[in-house]
Amino acid sequence: MLSIHNVDKIYHSRGKPDVHAVRALDMEVKKGEIVALLGSSGCGKTSTLRMIAGFESVTSGSIALAQRAIHDLPPAKRKVAMAFEGYSLYPPLTVRENIAFALKAQQLSRAEIARRVDEIARLVEIEDILDHHPRALSGGQQQRVSLARALVRDADLYLLDEPMGQLEPQLRAVLRGRIKGLLAERGMTAIFVTHDQTEASALADRIAVMEDGVLQQFAGERELKNRPANLFVASFIGEPPMNLLDTAVTPEESGFRLSAGSDLAFHISLQTLDVMAQQTLAQAQQIKVGIRPQRIAIGTGESRLRVVSNQWLGDQSHVAGECAGHLVVAVTQGKVAARPGDVVPCTLDARHLHIFGADGVCVRHAEAR
Amino acid sequence: MARLELKSVGKSFGAVSCARDVSLAVEPGEIVAVFGPSGSGKTVLLRMIAGMFEPDAGDILVGGHSIVDAPPEQRGIGMAFQNFALFPHMSARDNIASGLRARGAGDIAAKVTQMSRLLKIEHVLGHRPRELSNGQKQRTALARALIGNPEVLLLDDPLRNVDAKLRYEMRLELPSLLRRSSAAVLYVTQDYREAMAIADRIAVLIDGRLVQVARPEEIYARPASVAVARLFGDPSINLSEVAPVAEQGRLIAAVAGTQIRLDADDVPSGARERCWLGVRPDDVVVTRQDGEGAIPARIVAITPLHERAVVLLRFADGSEWLAALAPEALDAGADEDVFVRFAPEAALLFDHATGDRIGAPPRRQAA
Amino acid sequence: MDHSSLAGRIFRGIALSLVLVFFMFPIVWILLMSFQTNEQILRIPPRILFEPTLANYEALISGQLRTAAGNLQIEFMRNLMNSFVLSSASVILALLLGVPAAYAFARFKFKLGETIAFTLLSFRFAPPLLVLLPLSLYYQQLGLNDTYFGIVWVYQLIALPLILWIVRGYFEDISPDIEHAYRLAGHSWREAFTRIAVPLAGPGIAAAGLLSFIFCWNNFVFALILASADKQPVTVGALAFVTASGIQYGQIAAAIVLSVTPTLLLALYAQRYLVEGLSLGAVKG
Repeated sequence: MLSIHNVDKIYHSRGKPDVHAVRALDMEVKKGEIVALLGSSGCGKTSTLRMIAGFESVTSGSIALAQRAIHDLPPAKRKVAMAFEGYSLYPPLTVRENIAFALKAQQLSRAEIARRVDEIARLVEIEDILDHHPRALSGGQQQRVSLARALVRDADLYLLDEPMGQLEPQLRAVLRGRIKGLLAERGMTAIFVTHDQTEASALADRIAVMEDGVLQQFAGERELKNRPANLFVASFIGEPPMNLLDTAVTPEESGFRLSAGSDLAFHISLQTLDVMAQQTLAQAQQIKVGIRPQRIAIGTGESRLRVVSNQWLGDQSHVAGECAGHLVVAVTQGKVAARPGDVVPCTLDARHLHIFGADGVCVRHAEAR
Repeated sequence: MARLELKSVGKSFGAVSCARDVSLAVEPGEIVAVFGPSGSGKTVLLRMIAGMFEPDAGDILVGGHSIVDAPPEQRGIGMAFQNFALFPHMSARDNIASGLRARGAGDIAAKVTQMSRLLKIEHVLGHRPRELSNGQKQRTALARALIGNPEVLLLDDPLRNVDAKLRYEMRLELPSLLRRSSAAVLYVTQDYREAMAIADRIAVLIDGRLVQVARPEEIYARPASVAVARLFGDPSINLSEVAPVAEQGRLIAAVAGTQIRLDADDVPSGARERCWLGVRPDDVVVTRQDGEGAIPARIVAITPLHERAVVLLRFADGSEWLAALAPEALDAGADEDVFVRFAPEAALLFDHATGDRIGAPPRRQAA
Repeated sequence: MDHSSLAGRIFRGIALSLVLVFFMFPIVWILLMSFQTNEQILRIPPRILFEPTLANYEALISGQLRTAAGNLQIEFMRNLMNSFVLSSASVILALLLGVPAAYAFARFKFKLGETIAFTLLSFRFAPPLLVLLPLSLYYQQLGLNDTYFGIVWVYQLIALPLILWIVRGYFEDISPDIEHAYRLAGHSWREAFTRIAVPLAGPGIAAAGLLSFIFCWNNFVFALILASADKQPVTVGALAFVTASGIQYGQIAAAIVLSVTPTLLLALYAQRYLVEGLSLGAVKG
């Protein structure tokens, strides 16, 4: 459907060094797929979206949509619909007129336009403000109108820039569900940019994690969490972030012993390692391992955790503490009766360790549950 | 150290009322989160304490003495701002030291070094604000607020503008950092998780009124009103309009056409004309098995959220509920028909007209 | 964008050159004239190539103007000095009055605040000639006629509104939270003003000061009516070159070059401030 091939974007500005915003980007998006471009600010995600939309030229490489090369076409001829982060609603028009604007250009009948506007308005809960002007609306309402205006159009591809950042928190979960339902039902292809991994994993079928203009990993949410490609993805994806420990490597008979401190060591058996992982471990003295907070069990086990903070968030507890000289965070469902200063037993199982090579590449993933 | 006390504080700008009869006491060493939706008056409240606005009514006391007539510089207050508000033309070191210099404190260099070590910004002390990352700016602002050992510490959504990872780190660090100062702390936030994680007590402010002040667990389990219930929880609580009737000492209500038994223990009056039934998404169970109290529904979409699957369910009457489940607890996919149930004790009932939780202790009337 | 065709680029080049010639030609021509004698200037057709002379500049600096009708004393250097004194004094006074006023208008909402600010601006709307007649009568009564102070005072009509409105904008761009933070750190409002607000609005204050300096420098009518020969600035002094034996184009050109140079240099210097952004990164952008 959409194929981005070897695209680079370099910004030249006088008197400043060039900014290489996107590097050798290759991406294939299938028809009907919802894709998130996820990364922190300056990672190149917005540049990528704007190149697809046609607001930025590509420095090199090609972009094709439905087998048409589009990277040299002006935005209006690319058959893409876009919702902007800054909403960009037309101030003199009412909400209804704003949404209907692009439909009028498509020369649809009046009844058809009204039907479509009402339908999308119901979906994003703006029926009661259809006759208001944009300036009378709150940020969350404007964002919903902007979303409606993009989704109501007929386009090959829908581009959404931070589509839900300003939404009222109470509506967010419901709207995510409805919009995902709508996109799936109509088989619409969509790409959206976000810095919020919660939003990315909630909406997207696949997530493209970007950093420094480089695509780090492009996979489904489960895959990113269970099989992160490298240290960046591992520590970026997941809330709270993955615990990372430095360990000393000693070869043993049937594998390796990774020691993180006096009373915290892991035995990694050879069977769980592929050839590359074995080589990496054999050559290393120190190696970084990671374990998700959700995989640390509190209350049982050999290791000791000196609690620094214990925070209950209504549906889960976050317990942070010192374990063999490392600050680790554990997440459990339900409440934990521990106060700062207490020492509680905990289990860090070797099966749940991700192991990272010196270059950051993940050489062994944790066992999937 | 001193206690911070607000007594029936009121403030309005023209026709807009930002604080109505707000009374609250914060003990030394206590962290109270002021939590509410945007525009509820949180920031105005903080600014009245800091001395940027004058309250129209009521009094503000620190250690038993009224401070409303004192200029900001004499109130002994430390404050961290949402936008950091660092002095752009001064280095981080001078930013932090400015308060000590103004008070003519001794041993400034040592104090600044100690504070910056605590906040892990020693290496950037010589930098100007524009050379700092948002995380470092925010730590510098915190250091500046903390260094004078203020009796009252006001934090205005200090983690709003830092990225998610740093925000999480600070959420873990802040409580012990703040307790070390033993100041009375008011912490404004729009994020209920942040409020629950950091605060000893949460003061819920809606439309300038304090609706509930209680410990985090208390507010989550027994919200004072529908509005409070909706603010705590992500995804937020499911609400259905019901008309419960009493049957053999139990309350029965129809949810989307299905008769459901509710826990009646703290519903004194029994049957009601209309009220809101609230069930948190974590308490909703989705199964394939029909049975007593099971409501037929169709799965519209499944969206992952914080290691859980959030399921958007649509009932026969068109109303929608959300369920938040462990991904492995769900054995159905989108567009499938399922049954929904919940434990009777998970149901919260709210008065339809006032929104107050039925069974909640009556709210203290304003004198 | 690099989407344009060759023809488009050529057309754009031609259009740009036309505009450049239109605006730059008078300045270049004046510069050339200032190095020619009256005869050379009045030659028809005019020539680009000529033997340059410094006679015009000599005459201005020495104050001796030789014309066909005899020698004339001119006070050009004194006029230049007057321009400096009048413009600088006016700008300094306007800054002393205008910066605190601009701060007040930016930070505090008070009764009639907008009205007062607008009234101050409206001084710029009235044609100066209309104001001048009553003003000169007042001045004669008050004994302010033909005094430096009198002219500096009336120059406030030019400088004060400019400074007030430009600097106010800069103050409004500074987050009040920065000043609040400074006060909570234990400083009085005076210190917050002098150590936070003024330094942060520095580029704006500099730009406004320089602009009003240029406007004062270029003023003509106020000084024409209210000042006599020894208090006149260059703009009025240039009238002396219209002599009984004809107009001294060469000296006028040289006088223009000399009087434009300081303002031109100032403007080039000020450009840096005018362009420099205010936000120094303290507040999240």
